[in-house]
Amino acid sequence: MKHSIRILLAAASLGAAALAHAEVAVIVNPGASAAPSQADVANIFLGKNKSLKGVDQAAWNPTKEKFYAGVASKTESQLKSYWSGLVFTGKGQPLPSVAGDADVIAKVAAEADAIGYVDAAAVNDSVKVLFTLP
Amino acid sequence: MTTARVLGLAVCLASIPAFALEQGEARINGFGTLGVTHLGGEDDGRGYGISGQTNDSWRGDQLSKFGAQLTYGVTDTVGLTLQSTAKAYGDEWKANLEWAYLSWQSTDNLMLRFGRLRTPVYMYSESIDVGFAYPWLRLPDEVYSQVQLSNYEGADLVYNLPLSYGTVSFQLAGGQARNRDYYLYDDEFDIDYSKVFGASVSLATNDFGTLRIGYAEADIETDISGSFIDVFGNPSSASLLSLDKDKGKFTSIGYQYDNGTWLSANEWTSRVIENDGSGSTDSFYLMGGRRFGEFLTHVTYAQLDEDDGRQSSWTFGLNYNLMPTVVLKGEYKRVDTSGGYDGVFVRGSQELYNNTANARTGGLLGVPARNYDGDIISAGIDFVF
Repeated sequence: MKHSIRILLAAASLGAAALAHAEVAVIVNPGASAAPSQADVANIFLGKNKSLKGVDQAAWNPTKEKFYAGVASKTESQLKSYWSGLVFTGKGQPLPSVAGDADVIAKVAAEADAIGYVDAAAVNDSVKVLFTLP
Repeated sequence: MTTARVLGLAVCLASIPAFALEQGEARINGFGTLGVTHLGGEDDGRGYGISGQTNDSWRGDQLSKFGAQLTYGVTDTVGLTLQSTAKAYGDEWKANLEWAYLSWQSTDNLMLRFGRLRTPVYMYSESIDVGFAYPWLRLPDEVYSQVQLSNYEGADLVYNLPLSYGTVSFQLAGGQARNRDYYLYDDEFDIDYSKVFGASVSLATNDFGTLRIGYAEADIETDISGSFIDVFGNPSSASLLSLDKDKGKFTSIGYQYDNGTWLSANEWTSRVIENDGSGSTDSFYLMGGRRFGEFLTHVTYAQLDEDDGRQSSWTFGLNYNLMPTVVLKGEYKRVDTSGGYDGVFVRGSQELYNNTANARTGGLLGVPARNYDGDIISAGIDFVF
């Protein structure tokens, strides 16, 4: 059951990607002075670089999949395996997460040192786009 | 009124700039393995592994284990971590407190920890019970059977330095471990480790894998003896290994690579115990694997060398990701020894005596030492939550 849902979701995400060719935008607060590179962003979201506060997406969605594949070359199970390696060795905890693009944008807009990623189509003037992943 | 207070609390929680665990925040995580393993091709009842639970009956107590971890934010930078596991040793299930420490994130890059910590000897030492974190069901026994100490009481320091192409981490550890169990010759003994010291450096690159070099040492105190029936038919016993604060040194060099499709894990180790009557114990494994969608196939060659001889093995494994946090694993391992060496197979003190008597009398008495071989089949499931 769970599996067929995942297959459906995967199919849906493929469909959506084909239709909209949605890009993922990495966003920071408009007042942010730092401009981290893609490698820095990978380190921030893997918990190794604490110069900015990463805001993760709670649910595994096409945006999250594209983001982690793009910056860190990791799939969902590899990401889970990576974090279990840190959590159970006491060397890290997954980043705090919020539900969906709108909440990520709201949090990044509200906090000067926050960084997030959203579907490029959802971006508005309250945040600054650092770069997009095709 | 109550609603307003709850709302106020919710707003307050939402506005905390969360990064590490906040003051008062608690997280509970768990992990486990359910697996069975079987050794074929050896004598009836012959054991394999540290405490010999792998033998010719299908047993679940060698591979199965469960753990739970609580992490609590005492302040925004001080955290408490407790991890307990349930594992079987010999023929007995035991609950163990593996981690119990306070951590202090003194800067963004530096963390200090005090309490009971995992001994950082191997590449996979700190996640040794978390099967989900590595590809095998059985970590290569040739390497992972050598140091039985899994935790110590003391302090460590972890320093992470972000680089443009990855991260470099340094770890220094020091402490002691008293009254631990040590399994040898099909029996259990007391062992004390004092002046435990460990240091490691790990370079994790974004594109070219992770290289780890680690060194650990300790002063070891133990007295291992065995009882047997001697060649005249009389019950007797003898000291087999006596260490009086003799230094044990362990070096490990490991390399891991994973690009999402191809992966590799390799480790080379060397163990020296002063005054144990033998030279260094050297071992390594080389593993390569490839993912096909949710499947992973992997192959491992492992080797263990001591003065007495060599153990070598080939392992073939197939894993399937049932869910992002659940993986099914199956493994076939072929093990052989040469030089009349027992390797990771369990040789009892009677057998050891018979073999020694044979060697000392030029074959007149006792039984000559022989080689061991076997086929180990394992199947199981690893999960985290």
